[in-house]
Amino acid sequence: MNSTYIATLELAAGAVLLSAIMTLWRRNVRSIVAMLSVQGMALAAVAIVLALHEHEHALLITGCLVFLVKGLVVPHLLRRVSLLDPRSRESRPLVNVPASLVFAAALIVLSYVVGTRITSLSPSSATHLAPLGLATVLVGYFMLVTRRRAVSKIVGLILVDNGIALVTFLLTSGVPLIVELGSSLDVLLVVVVLQFLMVSMRRHSDTDRLTEMKALHD
Amino acid sequence: MLILAILAIPFTMTIISASFAWRPWVGWTSAASSAAFLGLGIWLSVATLSAPQWALHHSFRADSLSAFMVVVIGTVSLLATLFTPRTMHQEITSGVTTARYARHYVVLMQVFITCMLSAVLTANLGVLWVSIEATTIATTFLVSHRRTDGAFEASWKYVILCSIGIALAFLGTVLIYYAQLHAGGPVHSSSLDWTSVMSLAHHLDPNVTRLAFALLVVGYGTKVGLVPMHSWLPDAHSQAPAPVSALMSGVLLTVAFYGLLRFRAVAVAALGPAFPRALLLVVGIASLLLATVMLIAQRDLKRMLAYSSIEHMGLLAIGAAVGTPLAIAAVLLHILGHGITKAVLFLSSGEIYHLEGTTEIAKISGLLARRPTLAGIFGFGLLSLVALPPFSLFVSELTMARAEVDAGLWWVVAISLVCLSVIFAALTRHARQILMGARVEGTLPSSLSSSVAVPLITALVACVALGVFSWPLQSLLTHAAQGVMP
Amino acid sequence: MTGTISIYAVVATLLQVVMVALGAPLLVGIMAKVKARAEGRVGAPINQPLRDLRKLLTKERLHARHASVVLVIAPMLIMASTVVAVAISPLVSTHPLLGSSADILVIVYLLLTGSAAAALAGLDPGTAFGGMGSSRAMTIGALAEPAFLVAVIALSIQSGSSNLPSIMVSTLAHPQWVLGPSRLLALGALLIVVIAETGRIPVDNPSTHLELTMIHEAMILEYAGPELALVTLGETMRLGLLFSLLANLFLPWGIATHSSTLSLVAGVVSLALKTVLIALGVALIEVRSAKLRLFRLPELLAGGFVLSVLAVVTGLVTR
Repeated sequence: MNSTYIATLELAAGAVLLSAIMTLWRRNVRSIVAMLSVQGMALAAVAIVLALHEHEHALLITGCLVFLVKGLVVPHLLRRVSLLDPRSRESRPLVNVPASLVFAAALIVLSYVVGTRITSLSPSSATHLAPLGLATVLVGYFMLVTRRRAVSKIVGLILVDNGIALVTFLLTSGVPLIVELGSSLDVLLVVVVLQFLMVSMRRHSDTDRLTEMKALHD
Repeated sequence: MLILAILAIPFTMTIISASFAWRPWVGWTSAASSAAFLGLGIWLSVATLSAPQWALHHSFRADSLSAFMVVVIGTVSLLATLFTPRTMHQEITSGVTTARYARHYVVLMQVFITCMLSAVLTANLGVLWVSIEATTIATTFLVSHRRTDGAFEASWKYVILCSIGIALAFLGTVLIYYAQLHAGGPVHSSSLDWTSVMSLAHHLDPNVTRLAFALLVVGYGTKVGLVPMHSWLPDAHSQAPAPVSALMSGVLLTVAFYGLLRFRAVAVAALGPAFPRALLLVVGIASLLLATVMLIAQRDLKRMLAYSSIEHMGLLAIGAAVGTPLAIAAVLLHILGHGITKAVLFLSSGEIYHLEGTTEIAKISGLLARRPTLAGIFGFGLLSLVALPPFSLFVSELTMARAEVDAGLWWVVAISLVCLSVIFAALTRHARQILMGARVEGTLPSSLSSSVAVPLITALVACVALGVFSWPLQSLLTHAAQGVMP
Repeated sequence: MTGTISIYAVVATLLQVVMVALGAPLLVGIMAKVKARAEGRVGAPINQPLRDLRKLLTKERLHARHASVVLVIAPMLIMASTVVAVAISPLVSTHPLLGSSADILVIVYLLLTGSAAAALAGLDPGTAFGGMGSSRAMTIGALAEPAFLVAVIALSIQSGSSNLPSIMVSTLAHPQWVLGPSRLLALGALLIVVIAETGRIPVDNPSTHLELTMIHEAMILEYAGPELALVTLGETMRLGLLFSLLANLFLPWGIATHSSTLSLVAGVVSLALKTVLIALGVALIEVRSAKLRLFRLPELLAGGFVLSVLAVVTGLVTR
């Protein structure tokens, strides 16, 4: 029982980070969104496995919610947005893909170095995995900073959020339910807001030009 | 009971404005509701002087600090909502917006105000985070209200940057919770409560708390407009309608700052004063310097006001870094004074934009001769902003400087004074251009409607009153400052 | 006692070298056959690579006019380094002769020696294609080698040793490691590295001589006769070695761990089965994917590198 618990937890947490890397790797928006969906489901798996192991009912609810919101709804919304955009293939990253992958490797090592300081407070098989969440956060930031396309920026934001959720689950087995509910709904809302903005911007003018954020300056 | 009433008023107003199509009376009712909860906020302040108030099974808690923030939110909301009918009328007649979007606007304003109130009244640091995040969503749509390219770009930048920032703040909150769990804190819903966090604050693990506080400073600092993540602020403030800019600059920034004040107390208890002070000083001074540089060559009126907000937020961060009861009391007075002054300035700059059709400083000139009342209000607002006596910002800045000297931070006082005098010179130069520059041909002098002049002049008089007799607030401020002492 | 062990070790070592030398061309033949069948052709018999080698050996030696001694030495160096690597690696048995020196770094550097020799040989005659092939091969190698190294470090974290036989023995003792995230990530990284190192699709296409795309074939364009046979056999054995290592690192079951005839036989049979399985898998990948454009290759290899770093960190975290 215990060893399957640890093995499943490790696999799911690893899958979260791996799918983050895959989003950096792939160029096709459709497959990036598919990766996000996988990530949401892996995150939900982490929550549910932890909940079953620690008999936390609130966390079980959170897990199901995460599965719905981050595994299904958010990727679905993003897929719809990406269908609107005919140029869904090539994103023009500021840093090319090989360089960003190597950079991601450096970020992973960094988060391991930082993460072990935090996890040493209460060593357990769950908290040990927290650096994986930190790495997901950093990869998300990297994506946000280096990608120009609006959809890619949203993906980066979701990666950051999923990474933070992973850290939260692993370190504390979930914060109080109301906060968790708030944060899950916030992700959904932010995605809806961004989607709305993209759609209305497209109606007005070139989205990419606006999201590159060049027009307003001093 | 009082707390619930305060929250219920804007909430009910949200429902009212959502269920009726836009009419001026909806706007006037929302102003009345702001006045109502401002009154209740003053009542609450009096009540909290004896003991903190609780509501709904300890879900909500108001100490003097919360009550004071309710008063600040009430005052600025009152000013902003008083201008709602006028702004919407102007925008609908000029074709910038339609009745449909006017309705959205009023609903979102009320949601925004409700979220800010729940942020300062909640007992739980997690719910504080949820509320501040919720303000981002409401204000995004308010920033993009005009639906121009610039407005969309500003709101896109705003939502992306603030979401990142607020995500960091969430991570920081989670780390505090984690540290608290290992200090023997309760596992369930009461665990992030302010009182339970503070009771355990001395036992939090320093390593985790240090990282958490750094994340919180950067995270909430994004919403405050402090330096590393400030770049959304000038865009959002310049693109939003004037009442929204007034609310965002006047209170949204300081509501986020309220979160930092709370967490600073936790960090000081866990780590001692050195680390929080160093961190806040760095971001505060950096913000001050940046604002100084950007203000010198500013070409846009609303962006100028936005950078001045960054300057004042920097001053607040420096004051919080000092962290003595005197400094915190001065910070709170500064929050109120800045809120009112900024609201007056943004609202009058909205009026200027409406009349002149531009906010470019170079294109507005000779305003004093053409529109004396409006120019007078704007001019006195700027005098208040650069903290001349007898305005309250002078008192609060002086008190902060005194507290800094008491804490032995001479060099901080020196840097602040240099920056403030440069800013003074820069703003005076811009003001001279706007108010007294060469008169533009062909525009006739026009008088200002009293519905604009009366609230703004009253607000400026209130600023002077606060500066001259801060006594009605004295006990509230010291009491509130005691509440965030470790 | 030591005497018997050394006899079995000698037998195991010989078996390994012979098996890889004869089996690797057959693996290549099997892959070609699978691809042909998948494309609806009958295809050459699976022993075709062996026949080609025999034919090449009977041909005349020819050298390019401007070639130096490098062109002559390189095939021997390729062959020798590969044979040594095959001999000391634990393929059939965990105790081949010199098995204690089968440190992963030694194997990586032996393979690197072969690659360097091949690249130099490509440059030596001074032809355009040779230089182009060498430059491309080195670009790929520069990304693939670190990934290879780091991936194997990930494997050695769990077992606490970088000695290949002991990694395999400890994996046998802890079967749950095989499905751990660290192992799976390292497997992904190694698979990419192996495909790159052996020049298969999507990195390189071994059956084309189109100048726009060829990498490995461009390097050996100037070889003929017995020397071409030597280079080809060396490269093929390298493929056999990498497939066998991949098989034994992730599924070590069947390898001979003690000294008896039976376990050696089991080791031979299981190695053959596992490598054929891997060959089938690689052939399927080749059938299903198109060759990547050359400038996209760094993306794939950098991906492999990140996977291997990820494997190391996950390994450290879950230890």
